[in-house]
Parts: sequence; C-alpha cells; structure tokens
Amino acid sequence: MALDPTKQLERNARLTDLLARTALADQRAFAELYRTTSAHLYAVALRILRDTGAAEEVLQESFVNIWHHAGSYVAAKSQPLTWLTSVVRNRCLDQLRRREVQTVTMDDEDEGLAIAAEDPTPLEMLLSGADARAVGACVEALEQGQKQAIALAFFQGLSHSELAHHLREPLGTVKSWIRRGLERLRACLDGAGVTR
Amino acid sequence: MNVRNPERAEALAAEYVLGTLRGRARERFERLARADWTLGEAVRNWEERLLPLAEELPPVAPPTRVWAAILARTGKAPVARASIWSSLGLWRALAFASLATVVALATVLLRPAPEVPEGALVVVLAGTDARPALVASADRLGRYLSVKPVARVDVAADRALELWMLPDGASPRSLGLISATGVVRVALSGPADQALRNIPALAVSLEPRGGSPTGLPTGPVLYSGPVQRMY
Repeated sequence: MALDPTKQLERNARLTDLLARTALADQRAFAELYRTTSAHLYAVALRILRDTGAAEEVLQESFVNIWHHAGSYVAAKSQPLTWLTSVVRNRCLDQLRRREVQTVTMDDEDEGLAIAAEDPTPLEMLLSGADARAVGACVEALEQGQKQAIALAFFQGLSHSELAHHLREPLGTVKSWIRRGLERLRACLDGAGVTR
Repeated sequence: MNVRNPERAEALAAEYVLGTLRGRARERFERLARADWTLGEAVRNWEERLLPLAEELPPVAPPTRVWAAILARTGKAPVARASIWSSLGLWRALAFASLATVVALATVLLRPAPEVPEGALVVVLAGTDARPALVASADRLGRYLSVKPVARVDVAADRALELWMLPDGASPRSLGLISATGVVRVALSGPADQALRNIPALAVSLEPRGGSPTGLPTGPVLYSGPVQRMY
C-alpha cells in the first residue's frame, strides 16, 4: 500500500470524508469505509494475534466501535488510516494482555511465534517501505539489533520478554535496543519533518 | 509511573504505541494519556510516526461473516433498500436451508422423476422453517433453470414470486418471476455452470404483481437455498 504522495493525499481526504459521514450515521459511508480499509486492518490484526478467529473478532469489535465513535476521530486530528490502525492495534494488544494473564508459562511460546515461511519477515516488510516512506528509511538507518527488535514488536506484538526469548538476548539488551532505537527513530523522523 | 518527567513521558508514549508497554503499566498509561492533553499529544505523534509502517503489510480480505456480524450489531443495513438481504434472518435462513438441503436433496434424488439428471445444478429453496418449497434445477450446460414448487405456496392475487441470484459480496440479481403452482423455465445468460458461477445461493422474494419495480428485492425473502453442483 505504499502509495505516491498525491494518491496518499487523495486517499486520506476520501477516508476523512467517509469517517465524517459515518459519524453522522451515514450507513453507505460506513460500508464503503469497511470495504476500503478492512483488508488492511485485518492484516494488521492477523499479524499480531496469529489467530483468524481472534483477528475477526477484533475487526468486528473495532468497526462496531468506529460506527459509534467515528465522531471522536475529528477531535483526534490524526491521519484517518493512522487513527483506524490505532483502534485495531490497541484492541489487539488488549487481547494479548488478556492472553498473558491467562498463560503464565512461556513453554508453548515457540509454537505461538511460528511464522509461516512464505510470509515476508517483519524486517523485510519494514525495508519494503523504505523507498516510499521516511519512517522506512529511518528504520533502515537503525542498528541491526534495534531494527529487528522494533520490527518484531511492531508487527508481531511481541513483549520485551518475548523479544528476549525470540532473539536469544538478555532482557536488558532488548529493552535498551528498543529504547535507543525509538529515540533514534524520533530524531530521524522529526529531522525529516514527518510529524507536525 | 512518572509522566511528569518529559523524557520519561515521551519514552512511555513511544513504547505504548510500539506495543511493548504491557500489562498494568499499559492500562495506567492509557488512563493518564486520556486525561492529560500533553501525554495524549505525545501518543498521537508517535502514532503518526510509527503506524504508517503497518501499511506495508500485504492486505488480507476478511471473511464476509465479519461484515454480516458488524451489520447485525450496528443494528442497520448499509443500504436501506437492501435491508432484508443483509439481515441476520436471511443468513439464518440460509444456514437452515443448507442443513435442510441434505435431507431435501436426498428426497428429490431418490424420486424416480428424471428432473435431476447427472451433471446438474440443484437449488432447494426453503423457508425459515427449513421446509423445501421450490426446487430449481438446470443441466450443467443448459441455458435455463426449471423451477418447480414441491410444497403448497400461497401467494395473494396482487403479488408475485421473484427469483434472485445472490452473488458473493454484490447486490442480488433478478432471474425473473416464477409460479407458485407450476413449473417455470427461467432463461439464463449462458450455460448454467457459467451463468451461476460465483453464485453461492438463490432466493425468492414476494413482490408486487409484475415484479420488483426497483431492480432489487423489495418484499420479504420467503425462500432461499445454496446452489448445489452435482458434478
């Protein structure tokens, strides 16, 4: 979905319009909003939850929520797709939190982390956007460990301890990769004039 | 949680958006960010920085049941006129119908009547009570669908039965009017296996005499059933 800037502006304008009309209970706009964004948002949820049933549930909950609270989007002043993505991601992370409470052991973690071989790795996905997006370029500029930890946390929803386990590194190392990586990302992105 | 320290607040906002802020810390931070404008701004700024990364994921189309469930829960259909077609009732009816089909189909096929030859498409149209009312069948390469009532169907004099194709993810398409009392041949746009490709189900609605004036079903759905391919 790496669109050129003009297309991206057009899409954002369209989505903003659909959200505004959804806030006014326009059902056609809501249906179009779903048609335009659900495949993208479902992919986000699937990647984090790694379970189609759970991802479907999150998508359903998110859109019911969007129908009722589209009005709060206007106040948030974010890009429309960013706002929609945040709604879905936050629900996914809530789900993971609930799972963490339920499973105290880490024994079956490897199975949970299994990623289909044909899928692009989180790192490849980050890099695929490098040309089109400042954020991709800034991630690319990170050190290897930082890059990997941030990609796994972002796309797969891994926690600090899961990252440590997965990357076979001490927890402290992983935590500092994340912290320093984020700091460098911010410096890079703000330097590139990405945020307002 | 010390969010008074700006550097710490910034770091927490970043890890909240990245997803590595977990458990109770995440809950607490969420509450604080909702109440504190500066913290909320930090979160939004991090969302603008990081979330565009998600656009690099290859899209995956969710199953249609997700949208059906959303509609059921938002209490309304997306297009006013199509309300019946998006209603839970229809999908329940379809689910019932597919169950009933196994039984009904066996009955139809065991009958000596030659109306369902080998290489046929068969649709058993049943009501919400799962009792078959009509059977539609076509030769795989035939250019028409024979629709035959298999139970008594009462239709008021000023009403008519209209047969519809229910394409996946698109509006119903009319196949024309059918009779409640006798066999009707409904012309298809081509050989049946082509004309009904991508059509998972058929349905019958009650319409004004002469058929739906809008090109979409306007009356209640009386019967529906999945398209069964016997080849």
